[in-house]
Parts: sequence; C-alpha cells; structure tokens
Amino acid sequence: MTLGQVAAQPLVWVVRAYQLLISPMTPATCRYFPSCSAYAVTALRRHGLFRGTWLTLRRLGRCHPWTAGGVDHVPPLPGHPDDGELIARHIPPTPSEPASQQSTSAQT
Amino acid sequence: MGDFFNSVLRPIELLVAWIMYGFHEVFTTLGLDPASGLAWGLSIIGLVIVMRAAMIPLFVKQINASRKMQLIQPELQKIQKKYKGKTDPESRQAMTQETMALYKKEGTNPFSSCLPILVQSPFFFGLFRVLNGLDEIGAGKQEAIGPITREVAGQAEQATIFGAQLSDTFLGANNPATYIVTVVLIILMSLTTFLTQRQLMTKNMPASALDNPFAKQQKLIMYVMPIVFAVSGINFPIGVLLYWFTTNVWSMVQQFYVIRNRPAPGSAAEKAYHERLARRGKPIPGEAERKAAEAKAAEEAAAGQGQRVQPKGKKRAKKK
Repeated sequence: MTLGQVAAQPLVWVVRAYQLLISPMTPATCRYFPSCSAYAVTALRRHGLFRGTWLTLRRLGRCHPWTAGGVDHVPPLPGHPDDGELIARHIPPTPSEPASQQSTSAQT
Repeated sequence: MGDFFNSVLRPIELLVAWIMYGFHEVFTTLGLDPASGLAWGLSIIGLVIVMRAAMIPLFVKQINASRKMQLIQPELQKIQKKYKGKTDPESRQAMTQETMALYKKEGTNPFSSCLPILVQSPFFFGLFRVLNGLDEIGAGKQEAIGPITREVAGQAEQATIFGAQLSDTFLGANNPATYIVTVVLIILMSLTTFLTQRQLMTKNMPASALDNPFAKQQKLIMYVMPIVFAVSGINFPIGVLLYWFTTNVWSMVQQFYVIRNRPAPGSAAEKAYHERLARRGKPIPGEAERKAAEAKAAEEAAAGQGQRVQPKGKKRAKKK
C-alpha cells in the first residue's frame, strides 16, 4: 500500500458508511455503472487520496440528469487491464455464436 | 476541514433561514401565533415544499425517459434472458454492465442521477445547523443567521409541537413530550420510507428483476432501515425529523403518481395501468410498436432467417 492509499482509507470508510446507512434509504439513483459511491471506493483504494478524490469529484460532476450515463470505470493502473474487460469476461456465450471475448467497455 | 465546511454551508444556512423566516412571516400574517410551534413547524414544511418543487423539472424529465424505456424493452428482455438463472455476483455485474451500456447506446436512462441527492444534502445539514443553533443564538452565544436574530431564535426555540420544542433532541431532552414526539416521528419516517420502497418493489419491478440477489439484499435493507432511522433520529432535533418526514411523504406521493401513470415495463403496475386504459377504451402506449415488431419478427422467421438479431456492433454482425 502506498502512502496515498493509506491516507485515503478514512474517506473510503465515509463512503462505505454512506453505502450502508444512507443509500438504502433512497431509491437507486446513479446513471452509471459502477455507481458513484462504488466508483469512489475503487478510485480511492486504487489511486490514493489525491488522484482518487479528484477522479471521484469529476465523476460526481458527470452524474447529472443531462448525461446518458452508462458504463464508466475507474482508470486502471498502468499495465493493468480495464475493469470493464474483466467484467465482460463473465458475459455468458450466446448459443449460436462462438464465445468470443466481447468488450462492452469499447462502447463507452 | 471544519472551516471549509463552514464556508460552504454558510450560504446554504442563510438560504434555509430566509425561506423559513419568509414562511413564518406569511403564516403570522395569516393569523397564526408567531411564537407557536404550528407556525414554525409549517415553516419547516414550507421549506421542504420549496426544495422539492424546485426539483420537479428533474422529476418530469425522468417521467419522459420512461417512454423511451418502453421502446428498448425487447433489447432489455434479451439481456435478461441471457442471464436467466445466473445469480453469481460476477454474472450480475456483467449483466448490469451490459444493461447500462444499452441505456447509453439508446440515450435513455431510468435513473435520476446523483445530483439531486448531492444538492439536497447540504440543505439538510443547513437546516440541522440552523435548528441546532437556535438555543445558542437565542442566548447570544452565537451570531445571528440572516433573519434569524437573537429574538427570532429565542422565539423559535421556545415553540413547541405537542409539548416538544423544535430544537430538542431525544438524547438532549428530559421532557416526556420530546420522547413521545421523537418516537412517533421515527415510526412515521420508517413507515413512509418502507411503504415507498415496498410499493416500488411489489408494484413497479418486472418479475425478472425480483428474484435476483440485489432485490433480496434490498429486502433485507428495507427491514434494517427502521433501526438506522431510530439510531440517527434520537440525535436529531425534532425540527429536522419533521423535515425528513415531510420529504418522505413528498417522495411517496410522487412515486405513487409515477407508478400509477408511468409504470415500469413488465411490472404489475403496468398490467394494472393497461387494464385501466382498456376499460376506458383508450389506446395502450407502445402496443402498436410492439405488434409491429412482432409482425416483423414473424415475417423474418417465415423468410427462413430464424436467427433473431442480437444487439451488437456492426463488426460482429458481419462475421457469422
């Protein structure tokens, strides 16, 4: 763990507390996948306090009623695969077609 | 950090104070006793109405989006069919990802975005701080917030509903009326949230969405929620609980309206809505499009291309 990641931990707890205590009281709202709070947790854990906070603020700024929303993952660390690709590996193959590695993230 | 919060919340506190004071003036002019809990309680309810009314355009936008949802229903069902019986978290994630990608592709989205919550929460904190500060302002220990001067704060602080002061908290009071009013408000808050969520789940969710682990988790949360309300509620002033309860009532009524007039495709509410329309002899929205799509599919099947067109990019469509 880098220093930035350790420093981000308190903020991660705050977001987790929101997810556990406040979010259940409101209907599902986020127009993105992953939701803004899930994005915040990943961004803070992966990129640390400064970049994580910055990415989270930018995402919150994007999540307004005039956006189409859609799939929007936290940028991967250099040399790591994109989250969207990792998740797309679990798309079940359709019977009539070969099970190719389809990447949904390519559409975003 | 504390200073930062203060400078962000200060203008919001001022706005909250002015709206409440404005309503209080109106109710006093209408003949209510300025020192009564009724006048101050109604002012808090007025604050909720102003805030929620300001967000009605967002709500209308969301309602209009539901029309487009109707049109992408066949594609959504294809995705749901593909993941039928797959309940492991990885598959559910992949399914959500595909669904969200579809929303983006079609330029429609059933969710309202995070902005409304982000906008509302500072007002909630602002009201919390205004109400919490009443006794300090009234005693001259804290400076006035806009129109809430020492005299006004002293008056509002003494205002009671059913014998409980608006600035009282369950934990900070030794007054049976405060205990009773807090408990009643917590029960009402839990009840309204519970009914809102239950209405959404039992009436406005397609059957296919009801048997997945997220819906089960949602159900669990629904029963845990009153405990959360109770724990936080005993720390909050009565006025904040009143605000919270009024907001819940507003959400409930608004949702009732949506479910009745713009039900989610494939849900029990949609069936009821179509039955109501049929009884009145009105056309069912989306029915013509659906029939046209069915006829087209039948035609294609007859032409020997039994292959249903999957939602996919042009590149993939070419290889076969």
